[in-house]
Amino acid sequence: MVPGHRSLWCTALMLSACLVLTAAHATEPLTSGGTTTFRRLNEVQYTRSIVDIFGAGIRVPGRFDPGLRDEGLLAIGDSRAVVSSSGLEQYELRAREISAQVMAEARKGSALPCIPGSLRVFDQACARQFVGQFGRLLFRRPLTSGEMAALLNEVSAVTKKTGDFSRGLELGLARLLMSPYFIFRVETTEPDPGRMGFRRLDDYSLAARISFLLWDAPPDAELLDAAAAGALRQQAGIEQQVDRLIASPRFEQGVRAFFTDMYAFDRFDGLSKDQSIFPKYSTQLSKDAEEQTLRTIVDLLVDRKGDYRDLFTTRSTFMNRGLGLIYKVPVNAGLNEWVRYSFSPEDHRAGLLTLAGFLMLDPSHEGRSSPTIRGKMVRELLLCQKVPPPPPNVNFNIVQDTSNPLYKTARQRLTAHRDNPTCAGCHAITDPMGLAMENYDAIGSYRALENGAVIDASGSFEGKPYKDLVELGQILHDSPSVTNCVSQRAYEYGVGRPVAAGERDWLKFVGARFADDGYTLPGLMRTIAASTAFRSVSSEAVAAN
Amino acid sequence: MAKWTRRNVLKGIMGGAGVTVALPLLDCLLDANGEALASGAPLPVRFGTWFWGCGVNAARWTPDKFGSDYDLKAELAPIAPFKDKVTVFSGFNCVLGGRPNLAHWSGIMATFTGAAPSKGGMGGGSTDFPTIDCLVADAIGAGTRFRSIEVACTGQSSVSYSMRAGSTVNPSEVDPISLYRRLFGPEFQDPNAGAFKPDPEVMLRQSVLSAVMEDRVKLMRTVGAADRARVDQYFTTLRQLEQQLGLMLEKPAPALACVVPKEPERSELGPVWEIAVRNHDALAQLVAMALSCNQTRVFNVALSTAPSNLRRAGSAEAFHELTHEEPVDERLGYQPKSTFFMEKSMETFASLLRILDSVKEGDGTLLDHSLVLATSESNFAKLHTIESLPILVAGAAGGKWRSGLHVAGKGDPSSRVGLTIQQALGMPVASWGDGAMKTSQPIREVS
Repeated sequence: MVPGHRSLWCTALMLSACLVLTAAHATEPLTSGGTTTFRRLNEVQYTRSIVDIFGAGIRVPGRFDPGLRDEGLLAIGDSRAVVSSSGLEQYELRAREISAQVMAEARKGSALPCIPGSLRVFDQACARQFVGQFGRLLFRRPLTSGEMAALLNEVSAVTKKTGDFSRGLELGLARLLMSPYFIFRVETTEPDPGRMGFRRLDDYSLAARISFLLWDAPPDAELLDAAAAGALRQQAGIEQQVDRLIASPRFEQGVRAFFTDMYAFDRFDGLSKDQSIFPKYSTQLSKDAEEQTLRTIVDLLVDRKGDYRDLFTTRSTFMNRGLGLIYKVPVNAGLNEWVRYSFSPEDHRAGLLTLAGFLMLDPSHEGRSSPTIRGKMVRELLLCQKVPPPPPNVNFNIVQDTSNPLYKTARQRLTAHRDNPTCAGCHAITDPMGLAMENYDAIGSYRALENGAVIDASGSFEGKPYKDLVELGQILHDSPSVTNCVSQRAYEYGVGRPVAAGERDWLKFVGARFADDGYTLPGLMRTIAASTAFRSVSSEAVAAN
Repeated sequence: MAKWTRRNVLKGIMGGAGVTVALPLLDCLLDANGEALASGAPLPVRFGTWFWGCGVNAARWTPDKFGSDYDLKAELAPIAPFKDKVTVFSGFNCVLGGRPNLAHWSGIMATFTGAAPSKGGMGGGSTDFPTIDCLVADAIGAGTRFRSIEVACTGQSSVSYSMRAGSTVNPSEVDPISLYRRLFGPEFQDPNAGAFKPDPEVMLRQSVLSAVMEDRVKLMRTVGAADRARVDQYFTTLRQLEQQLGLMLEKPAPALACVVPKEPERSELGPVWEIAVRNHDALAQLVAMALSCNQTRVFNVALSTAPSNLRRAGSAEAFHELTHEEPVDERLGYQPKSTFFMEKSMETFASLLRILDSVKEGDGTLLDHSLVLATSESNFAKLHTIESLPILVAGAAGGKWRSGLHVAGKGDPSSRVGLTIQQALGMPVASWGDGAMKTSQPIREVS
């Protein structure tokens, strides 16, 4: 080799090596910053907070306002929810009854952090300790001196009025439980020192976001201490806590909560099917189906740290006796026992879409399956694609084509959806996938025939043909829409709002990282929770104080 | 005792004892007309809404004759016993004014909020304006323990057409036992009971709520601009609860016709027709007692969600699906299974009227002293039409409303009905509604 060219060649080699290294450790693009939210705790989070803070023996009474699904997530609905009058009555009922129960325990010696001098007289030091400890856990941040002073006054006043210090503490606790600082997640921001003109969540607000994303629970004492010590101001400190939370057994709970929201499992509540058409159906069966799906998800994504895409092709699941009846498989399990189960290739089952939970989750048709609804569910829940609503003046005479009374299968009944151009535009989006699911009835049992006619489950998705649901699962496995959807939803779920336009590039970065990590869910959660975007707030979102 | 006069009753009870007694409200305590308390305070007027989903067959529902003595066709026949207490409105439309026709949503929001909504459909969505029951409750509901009571008959608490601006509904009570306990449980104070003693616990509860109000100022400064309205709403509702507790510290005024009911039996909940109707009657009975015992002045009943999921036991198809998919019977000229539900909905409304009308209050009945706005979100659900929305108003608002008529709308917005109702209830409203539905023309025939 010519000497001059060698040095040039070496430089080129080093340069390309540098480029390769840079690509592998691509830096996170900055975003426009998001907004803070004022997000109501849902029933599960409220109850879990009470159990975490006061112990499992405390009963949480009363009814919670129904959740609100907005832009695909209940988490976003919680950021827009308003407490109704009857809802507030219920919060007040809970505040009274929970604080009464806590103090009943305390009088037996367990909850009081201090032994007051006398139970008839206000003990400032004991009250301060009590209110400070529970205030910090309930508000998910230390009380300010102003809040503390006001609370001590209130406890003192009640003690004087009733002659009972423990009643004073009880009502102080009730007052904390009625505060919007407990019932809602309040997010405070501060100027971001690393980025002029932008803000970031303060330590405690960030701790809460991380904890609710990964555990669906308020920050534990260790995370609160890390926030207090300023550890969340450095990337290393954040990552340490994020890794701790992901490694914990409580991570499974967070994953369940996320998928319950993303896959709209709240619709299992009150799901009913007509008993005379589906005698095997019962509320217990629907609970089992939901649990089977969640166990499959947790096993693949958390325990085995598997590839998210494999959810659409996996044959590994869990069974119990009740489910064995609708899958028509023998299950060797005790009465309330779950056992691992693997489908064989002839079983027509592979992937989430072939599990009963997904198949029965249509709240509007109690007597049959609806391909349009099921197809819509796949589009909206798994692919994050919006399906336009039907036009209000649909002329259903087209659907009732009386010249062909042999409408034995759903595919035949929905001919008009395909053939009529007015209908086909939208129904081409939903029906084909739903028709692939027609081999499974409204409670998830397999069927090859409907009303005596063979079910044709073929179709094509994104240009690729499939002959049945199992093949569709494989195509979904390979589709980027599936992985982009879960990363978008995980972020939106974490921040409680739809992704903003100025965050789209960042989301692509997250998608690339997700792919590099082998599409593991813990990896995705880690990327999101430890990111700058997760804690970044734009200045316009925070009006001048 | 010689004669039941006010004077004799008071003398008899007071003899010797210096206690405060809440007298049962005997008719002898009313003025000569039986329409007001002898002290001069008029009997309270109540307001309610009654919603049924999936409309009517106009040809079988809308009377041909206008004015009084209108004809009852097959689908409206169930209200025959109460015909002179019900006014029928036809020809009043949801006027979109450029907004989309949101299936099973625009029609109901038009009548209940006076505006065509921009977002939503299939029985839910968002609204920029509160529903009429909230406005009425703000005007007349502050003096009772509950501003309003919402009930739904299909077992789903999210089925409710009572909303403030936003997307959150006021959730419905669905279980008669839960409703009973909320209304007549440990916190109920019988207005006709003997001596009254304010409960010190209630005062402590009030002090907790007023302490929480301290959080407001700092919180308003902390949250983003978009969330301030929701923070404000929380504290407004908190203040209302505080006031509600304050009412419990005052001796309640005696209530004519208040009879404390027994706790109902446990019932199944769900969208099966037979079950829903049974629950309707149980819930309506409790609402009627809540009204006559002055626990509330405003109520909302939802028979089902707008795309109605009511179905016959053993049938695979719900009402909503039937409206779209059931073929018209050539001989009858309508869809028989869908029409079953339409006729039964009117029967159930008649059941509510019977329950309200059987409570005697003075010279009249609870129904006479109320206004009940009954309507659906569609005219013809099969095609989601929103012209000539089926609207009924029952009751006479204690004499302020002329009932028993059929009124022609001639294409006017259905907000005219809501405007007229608010004026009849004495609310200072000169115009109501938004956009193409905005109106300042009350309906003269009934007011």
